[in-house]
Amino acid sequence: MENNQQKIVRFDLFERVVHWTVAISFVYVALSGLALWSPKLYWLAGLLGGGETIRAWHPWAGVAFSVALLLMFSRWASQMMLDADDRRWLIKSYKYAIHDEEGLPRAGRFNAGQKMMFWLQSICCLILLLSGLVLWFPESMSRGLRLTAILAHPLAALFSLGLIIIHLYMATIATPGSLRSMVHGWVTPGWAKTHHWKWFRKISDN
Amino acid sequence: MGEPLVVAKLIDTTTCIGCKACEVACQEWNDQPFNLGQFDGTYQTQPDLSHDFWNLIKFNEVSGEPDQLAWHMAKYQCMHCRDPGCLRACPAPGAIFIRDNGIVDFDQSKCIGCGYCITGCPFDVPRRHPESKKVFKCTLCSDRTAVGLEPACIKACPTNCLTFGRREDLLDQAEQRAARLRGEGHSQAGVYNPPGVGGTNVMYVLADASQPESYGLPRDPKIPLSVWLWKGPLKWIGNTLLLGGILAVLLHYLRFGPKRFDDEESRERES
Repeated sequence: MENNQQKIVRFDLFERVVHWTVAISFVYVALSGLALWSPKLYWLAGLLGGGETIRAWHPWAGVAFSVALLLMFSRWASQMMLDADDRRWLIKSYKYAIHDEEGLPRAGRFNAGQKMMFWLQSICCLILLLSGLVLWFPESMSRGLRLTAILAHPLAALFSLGLIIIHLYMATIATPGSLRSMVHGWVTPGWAKTHHWKWFRKISDN
Repeated sequence: MGEPLVVAKLIDTTTCIGCKACEVACQEWNDQPFNLGQFDGTYQTQPDLSHDFWNLIKFNEVSGEPDQLAWHMAKYQCMHCRDPGCLRACPAPGAIFIRDNGIVDFDQSKCIGCGYCITGCPFDVPRRHPESKKVFKCTLCSDRTAVGLEPACIKACPTNCLTFGRREDLLDQAEQRAARLRGEGHSQAGVYNPPGVGGTNVMYVLADASQPESYGLPRDPKIPLSVWLWKGPLKWIGNTLLLGGILAVLLHYLRFGPKRFDDEESRERES
């Protein structure tokens, strides 16, 4: 096995472009959203050009995020279905967290944790988009809708941010090699074997 | 010097004749245009408040006894709540503030135009400018009261249906007036000063306080539950979740470290 030579394509260019569009728009909506969330975090608005600027751009960035996430969804949804192994993995996911993977089912291209991240973030995005539209055009919405949206929007946003903390941690320092796969698109055979054994077997067979 | 003087406006609906002098005075003092609207078969100047029309006399037609029609006229403007829902909902520091004299005022230079105050207000009063998106409403003529003048609407009222003064004095006056009305046969007469928003600095004497809705006033206005949850407990849950989450993953890293993989390369390039 030649050192540093063997590269397995993990994410093609389309997937990487879409992922980083989602990521960058997420960072913008998250920072501007936190500024609008609490007067104590309003200083964030100053970093992004001021309150009026973020009020005008936050919804459009949300639309960009939703469109990019929809592309991501259409590419990955079929690969994110949970199978029997995934369900057993989820029950024992604490073993994954403490690096005791003895008896943990092997993962395919995405492990069950990644799949849950995908579905939960997609649900959050849908709630954020719908409630965001209500908050964007308050004069055109009934009071009941507005009162629901004003609570649903930050709830879904907080949940999404909480998930993103886990995602950022897992994808950077917690799993060396992951970030490179999303930047350059490839992983090493050892990485694939360790983290996504079933996927490695499948592409090795082809 | 003790408690600051809190000012208030008392509206005695039983002596309002619907002349609309207060509307004109409001437009004039605040240098606002008069917009021609559409005639919709009522005596109202406009169907609703707008960003450049802060004071509307509502001509509520109420049918009581057979063949009897009553006008429950009510002046519709910002209520200057003691606990304003608009202020709770506002994300921009200083855009909505309470003056020492109790007036709830908007500072358009700090307003970012999000419109959250519209949802926070239980009286549906703030209105956005269609282009600038900044929100406007009655200021209780804070620029006049600051120099000892009464608000323009009160100055213009020909029947003394509108009174301006110390809040405590006006509350007494309102209760006396309501008691007198009850003595004159309006058995349901009463004062509208809703406790759900901590009371209001704009108060009404209603000939029939059992039906505030017939005057276009909400029966029991409150800070909306979802606004309270959003700005109260959710804030703490959110802070705990986000800070706790960051701390948790950092602790996890210190305790368990990264997930290593079996590869020659991994020894050279860990990340």
